[in-house]
Amino acid sequence: MSSLSYQDRVHKIGRITASIVLILIFVVPATISIVYNIFPPADKLLLGIGMVCMVYIPISIAEFLTYTPMLGSSATYLVFVTGNLTNLKIPCALTCMVNAEVAPQTEEAEIIATISVAVSSLVTILIIFIGMIALVPLSPLLSSEVLKPAFSQILPALFGAMGGYWILKQWKLAVTPILVIVLLYIFLPIPSGVEGALIPVMGLISVFSAKLLYKKGFIKSIEN
Amino acid sequence: MDYLSIANGRVLYILASIVIIVVIIQSVLFLRMSWKRGISIGISKTKLKETVKTSAFFAIVPSIPIVIALIAISPVLGLPFSWMRLSVIGSQSYEMIAAKIGASSMGIANLTDPGYTAQVFSNSMWVMSVGIIWGLVLSIFALKKYQNRMKIVQKKDSKWAEIMVNALFFGMLSVFFGEPIVSGGLSLLVLLSSAAIMLFITWIAKITGKQWIRDFALSVSMIAGMAFAILFSNLGAV
Repeated sequence: MSSLSYQDRVHKIGRITASIVLILIFVVPATISIVYNIFPPADKLLLGIGMVCMVYIPISIAEFLTYTPMLGSSATYLVFVTGNLTNLKIPCALTCMVNAEVAPQTEEAEIIATISVAVSSLVTILIIFIGMIALVPLSPLLSSEVLKPAFSQILPALFGAMGGYWILKQWKLAVTPILVIVLLYIFLPIPSGVEGALIPVMGLISVFSAKLLYKKGFIKSIEN
Repeated sequence: MDYLSIANGRVLYILASIVIIVVIIQSVLFLRMSWKRGISIGISKTKLKETVKTSAFFAIVPSIPIVIALIAISPVLGLPFSWMRLSVIGSQSYEMIAAKIGASSMGIANLTDPGYTAQVFSNSMWVMSVGIIWGLVLSIFALKKYQNRMKIVQKKDSKWAEIMVNALFFGMLSVFFGEPIVSGGLSLLVLLSSAAIMLFITWIAKITGKQWIRDFALSVSMIAGMAFAILFSNLGAV
């Protein structure tokens, strides 16, 4: 083994692979523009980029700040390459960490989270690949009226299950964020699709109230 | 030239395949590295294998809506680019919004408008690409610093570090509770039924002492909740 510590190695490999993917992301549209000689007009392109960045830079910063402490370094490098965080990777990794009985921010937890993110990414890639090949026969099945409610309700089904378990375990931490979000939804017209932007706000509120509860001695530790 | 012959052309298929293969290699690399490290710091093989099994099984169902998203966006953006975007980095919700921004900045209001030309397609691709990179950029430039700070918090007070991470998760969880609780209806029924099933399965796992029941509890509860969604809407309960 090299003289680098494990953490240093994680950062090195993480940075190298993330950089390669970053470059490849731009290689795709660049190649198409060059091969087919289609360049969007610069002013229109900059307008579009400006618009998309206004939405996604704040969301990305918030996601990064929220999810990194949950996952640890190596899983974070991987998760920002493979995507689908909220609806798949985070619930999956957290459940595996609980089942393996490891505490967050320890090296054990980081290893469990990384294995979980890597395996679930590979499965997702495989399923999308199957979906792509079998797109024609699958389309009518997946977009059938019968199955529609099941897939439109996948997030309540997923977070209901996670919530039931976690709230029972640590109800003291759950009270404030749930109360705040219910009040928000009662008094503010929140359009659907902005959940991504609410996650960091609620995360901050939740951490702040947890700090208060911890300082006052209402919460002493997390029991597994 | 019809832009769809570019969007479904061979060049784009090759490019998409390269990106996806690189991401597969990266996943395997991290998997191997973590596995080895896990063994060397004394995590049991059973625990590591359980993590693999739980994750592989869990990932199947939430991947299906991504295939549905593929069905929805591929007629506009072509199959290879949609395939690449949904397999890597993107998410179902992001891709449509970003593609629309790409089109509207060219003066096209709808993705199905006849004015959607090769140039608009190229603009959409560029805009979507720039939009998605920020999590990656932050990981490259800020992750090490941020994690070093987290480690200091953890060393100073490991109990608080653990509570903080849990609180962050409750913040995320609460976001998905707000709408169902306030508006009620099908979402609330599904939320409550899958919570009840989860608690029941966890209780069974506890009294029987079987780890494998615990490993599949989340997946099974989620699928059961989705089945209830079909049941409730057919019963006309909502």
